[in-house]
Amino acid sequence: MIEIAGLKKKFKLTKDHKKNKVDDIDPREDKDYFHSVRNVSFSCAKGEVLGLLGPNGAGKTTTLRMLSTALKPDEGSITIAGNDIVKKPLLGRKSIGFLSGSTGLYGRLTVKENIEYFAKLHGMSKKDIASRCEELFSMLDMHKFIDKRAENLSTGMKQKANIARAVVHHPDVVVLDEPTTGLDIMTTQTVINFIKGLKEQGTPVIFSTHHLDEVALLCDRVAVINEGISCFDGTVDEFKKAGNSDELNKAFINILTEKHDV
Amino acid sequence: MFEVFKKELKELLRDKKTLMFVVALPVIIFPIIFAVMAFISSQAALDADQKVNTYVIINGEYAQEFTDKVFYHKSFELYKGNKTFNTIEELKAGVIAGDIDMGIYLPSDAKQTLNDEKQSKWQVVFNDSKSINFLFERVKELAKEYSDNLQKEQLISFGIDMSAHAALLNPVDVIKVDTADKRENLGEKMGGFLPYLLIPLVLMGATYPAIDLGAGEKERGTLETLLLTPITRTELVLGKFITLLTTSIASTTITVLSMGCWVALALAFADLDVIKTAFSSLAVTDLLMIFVLLLPLAAIFSSLALAISIYARTFKEAQNYMAPLSMGVFFPIIISILPNMELTAKTAFIPVTNVALAIKDIIKGTVDYTFVGLIFLATALIAGALLAFCVKWFNREDVLFR
Repeated sequence: MIEIAGLKKKFKLTKDHKKNKVDDIDPREDKDYFHSVRNVSFSCAKGEVLGLLGPNGAGKTTTLRMLSTALKPDEGSITIAGNDIVKKPLLGRKSIGFLSGSTGLYGRLTVKENIEYFAKLHGMSKKDIASRCEELFSMLDMHKFIDKRAENLSTGMKQKANIARAVVHHPDVVVLDEPTTGLDIMTTQTVINFIKGLKEQGTPVIFSTHHLDEVALLCDRVAVINEGISCFDGTVDEFKKAGNSDELNKAFINILTEKHDV
Repeated sequence: MFEVFKKELKELLRDKKTLMFVVALPVIIFPIIFAVMAFISSQAALDADQKVNTYVIINGEYAQEFTDKVFYHKSFELYKGNKTFNTIEELKAGVIAGDIDMGIYLPSDAKQTLNDEKQSKWQVVFNDSKSINFLFERVKELAKEYSDNLQKEQLISFGIDMSAHAALLNPVDVIKVDTADKRENLGEKMGGFLPYLLIPLVLMGATYPAIDLGAGEKERGTLETLLLTPITRTELVLGKFITLLTTSIASTTITVLSMGCWVALALAFADLDVIKTAFSSLAVTDLLMIFVLLLPLAAIFSSLALAISIYARTFKEAQNYMAPLSMGVFFPIIISILPNMELTAKTAFIPVTNVALAIKDIIKGTVDYTFVGLIFLATALIAGALLAFCVKWFNREDVLFR
C-alpha cells in the first residue's frame, strides 16, 4: 500500500525565466517560485493499478519523481507499507521500481550487464541476480538480445530491457511515467502485459498516461491532477460518475473544467 | 561505490573516443606529432644552413679582403644578372623583388675612414622575417674577421708586440665559473617545459571521461535511474570520482612511459648527449615524487570536471564549460616559469603553480623535501574540499534536474 498526502513542491525561478515572464498566465507562479505541485493526495493498495491523469504540465512527472525519491517534497508525506520514504529515501528506493518514457540504458553495456548492474546497486546477491535475470528474460522474451549492447537495440527491445531493469529488485510498488509514449503497438502491448502481470502478482502500480484506453483496460483507480492540485481520486466508475459521462475522455475533460480550491 | 567504479571503467574502456583521448593520443599521436615537428624544424634549419644566397656588394673594392671572404664563402653567390645596383634603395628593391637575397653596402669612403682610424658603418640589406635566417650572422662573422685583421695590422704598425694585442683589445676577460652542475642547468630548461606537458595531460585525462559520466548520464536518461538506487549520493560521487582519478593518472602515466620509450628508441639510433645526461641524472625516486605530486592535482581536476559536468544539461554544454577550465590551468603554469619565480613557503600554496615549481626543482635536483610535503598537503586539502563540494553539488535538485 502506498499513500500520498498533501504533497507540495516548488522550484525557484531562474533569472531568465523571471525576465521573460508573461504576467498572470500561470496561477502557480509567484515572484520567485513556480509551485509545480500544490496539493496532491492519493493512494494505491496491493493489487491495484492507479492511473495518474492530467494535462501536460499538470505536475504528474514532479509528483512521480517525488514518489521515486528523486525529488524531495517541500510538504506532505509518502508512505509505503507504513514507512515514510520522505524521511527514509534509501528505504523508498529499495521499495520502488521506476520507469519512464525517457529513462535510458548504458549504451556500451550489454542488456544483461545493464540489468545486473542495477541489481548489484540494489544489494542483491550473485545467486539472486542470476535467478531473477533468468526469470525476467523468459517473462519478457529477451533471450535473443541479452548479450547485445544497449546502443544497438530497437526501441521495443530497449523498453523491455528498461522494464526488466525497473523491477529486477522485486519492488513493493511500481511507478511508471508515461511508459508507452512513443512506442509502437507491439511494444505498447508488452508494457500493458507487464502491468497486468504485476497486478496479478499483487504489486501496486501507479502510472501516468494520456491514453485513456489504457486506463479503461488496466486501472482500478484513477487520480487526476490539474495545475498541481488533486482534483479527483477514486475508482473508474466513480470517475465516470464525477465526470458525468460513461466515456472516459469526456469525463476527464468535465472533471478538469470544474474549479478546485488549493 | 566499487560497483559504480567498476561499471564506469568498463563503459569507458568500451568507448572508442575515450580510448582515443586516454590511450591512442598519448601513445601514438603525441609522439608522432613531436617527431614530425622535430623533423620539420631540423629540416628547415638544415635547408637554411645549406642555402646558397645571391648577393651584391656596393663599393666592395674599398674592403677587398672582406669582399673576397664573402665571394669564397660556400653560402654566398655573387649576383650575375643584368640589373645594376648602385644605391641602398636599389638594394632594397632588389631584395623585395627577389632578384637578390642580400645586399651589402659599403660607403665609398670606407677605406679612407678606416685609414683615418674612424669607425666605418656598413649596411646589410635582407629580409629578416624568415624564422630561420643565417645570413646576417654569417656576414657579421666575416666582417669581424676582417675587422680583427685590421686591428692587428694597426697595432703592428704602432709597433706593439703580438703578445700584447689580447691585453690591449680586451683588458678584462670575464670567465664564468658555474656552481650549477649539468643536471641543474638542464633542469632549469627542461623542468619548465615538463609541467606544460604533464599538468594539461592530467587535466585532459579527467575532463573527457567526466563529460560522459555527468552530462552524458543526463543526456542518456540514465542519471535518474541511478539516483533511484539505494546507494547514497556520496557513494555515487566517490565511484565516479575514483574513475576519473584513474583515467587521469593512467593517461598521464601512459604518456610519460610512451615518451620514455620513444626517447630511448631515439637515443638508440642517435647520439644525443644532452638528452642522455638529462635522463641519466633522474632517479626513480624523482619520478615517484612527481607522480605523488600529480596525484592530488588529478583529484582537484577530477572533482572540478565532475562538478562542471553534472551541472551541464547536455554533452555539448559540458564541453563548452570545460574549455575555460582547460585554458585556466595554463595560467598558473605560466606563473611558474616567470623570471625569479621560485618555490617558497608562499608559492607552495598557489595551486598548480606549486606543483609546476616543484617538478622543476625535482628535475634540477635542488628540491626542498619540506616543500614537497607542504605542496602535497595543500593540494590534497584543496582536492578534499572540492570533493566535498562535489558531493554537496550532487545533492542539489536544481543541479541534477535543471
